[in-house]
Amino acid sequence: MMLTFVLPIIFITLFAFIFGKMNNSEENHLMSLVHSVAGISVFMLLFSVAGIGGSLLDEKQEGILKKLLCSPMPPDYILFGKLVFAIIISIIQLSIMFTYAWLFFGLDIMHHLPSLILMIFAIAFACSGLGIVLASFAKTRQQVQGLSSIIVLVMSALGGSMIPLFVMPEIMQKIAVFTVNYWGIQGIYDIFWKLVPLRDSIFLSKVFVLFCIGIFFNFIALLMFRRNILKML
Amino acid sequence: MITVSNLKKTFDAVDALKGISFNIQQGECYGLLGPNGAGKTTTISILSTIIKPDEGEVKIAGYDLKKSPFDCKKNIGVVTQEIALYNELSAYDNLLFWGGMYKVPRQELLERMDETLELMGLTDRKNDKVKTYSGGMKRRINIGTALLHRPKILFMDEPTVGIDPQSRNLIFEVVEKLHKEGTTIVYTTHYMEEAERLCNRIGVIDSGKIIAQGTLNELRTLGSMKETVVISYTNLTNECFNTIEKEWNDLQRIDDTIHFYSMNIQGDLSRIILKCNEFGLDIRHIDIQKINLETIFLSLTGKQLRDK
Repeated sequence: MMLTFVLPIIFITLFAFIFGKMNNSEENHLMSLVHSVAGISVFMLLFSVAGIGGSLLDEKQEGILKKLLCSPMPPDYILFGKLVFAIIISIIQLSIMFTYAWLFFGLDIMHHLPSLILMIFAIAFACSGLGIVLASFAKTRQQVQGLSSIIVLVMSALGGSMIPLFVMPEIMQKIAVFTVNYWGIQGIYDIFWKLVPLRDSIFLSKVFVLFCIGIFFNFIALLMFRRNILKML
Repeated sequence: MITVSNLKKTFDAVDALKGISFNIQQGECYGLLGPNGAGKTTTISILSTIIKPDEGEVKIAGYDLKKSPFDCKKNIGVVTQEIALYNELSAYDNLLFWGGMYKVPRQELLERMDETLELMGLTDRKNDKVKTYSGGMKRRINIGTALLHRPKILFMDEPTVGIDPQSRNLIFEVVEKLHKEGTTIVYTTHYMEEAERLCNRIGVIDSGKIIAQGTLNELRTLGSMKETVVISYTNLTNECFNTIEKEWNDLQRIDDTIHFYSMNIQGDLSRIILKCNEFGLDIRHIDIQKINLETIFLSLTGKQLRDK
């Protein structure tokens, strides 16, 4: 609850306040707000999905996973259940972040609702498998927490969650394309800052890449779940 | 009901099971007795489809485990060694969840949940979170979650580890009731008194092999084991002992006590006491050491069943 909802709201408030004070023009103010909401939302979302991966290891340690495997339910359904849960939590988390930005900072989500809904789905799907992938490399929740802190912080720093990419060196901007944060943040820039229409290929290409990242992570999650997590029982 | 032939399993070059075979008839309560690391949990894990064997065949309720694992799963209930419950949920919600996993129709499930809570003596606490329960209560509800789909076969992997006597007795009663109702039970334990009380037949497993199996009486006859009468005296002399030794072949003197070994302790006890009276020996204490699973296990393996 703390990690999923409270901390992101605190961070968005702080970032929006600090960046807002630094920029005087309205356009810069909007850009600061969009960056704060997009960057922090994706950043905190990655921590949330890592936590869901950790819960799978808790269940393994407590014998719940073993008991689930004794039931007539196909083993892959356990993983699908976790992925669906991760997607639902991600959608709720992102929705709350943007609603908060709308209510308290006046971010105009109502005029871009279809694009925003599509982008929220795309980001949620892209991140959903990451927790399971991280969990498959660890044996306990504590290990996942350590591993995910490093991975998420590095990915967020590189992907532009903390500092806008356009102030970074060119090489960093090229590396950023390998992170989920980059595509999520750029997609949200398209919606609220660059005002790219829903059907524009620039916007849809980002949605497409996010779905591809999601498919890739979920495929790896499935392989690692079968190979590592089930085998460790 | 269960046929296991030549079951083998290796973990990282350690042979956990070295080709075990046994049959269990419908309605039997079969005890798998062995020390920690003997292969009991590996056997149960294979039978309950959690892990795959390297070699061997298993048939459960007529289904081949390799070919039809899901048909096997529908017929079994598994009580794991771990207390596999969601601590943040109530007992009621845990039962609802685990019953749902076996697709028990909703109305039927709700009725069975009430019966299970009653059977486990937890109706009053059904809405409390499991994390507030004692270890014994958690064990009971853990068993309850395995009964909701009315399995024909119940695997119980050391279900009484670390619990209070009251819960232990209640679990024994539940096992006896299920057995009476015709459920086939496979019960692993390293507590010999549990196996003696609950099981029709017992398989003694050690280092991945079944080293003996049969009823308790059949196991007693293995290795021609003898029961022992240990008598302590206040006035035992060498002369007396020598005279007794001439008349009784199998005995041993340790200080003031004599250990008499016998295949039929009930018949021989009165004879031993009469002899002692005849020689004017003053008996201070008599101890009868009967053959039990502990002594059988010790005799078969040279090891204690539990660490002392």
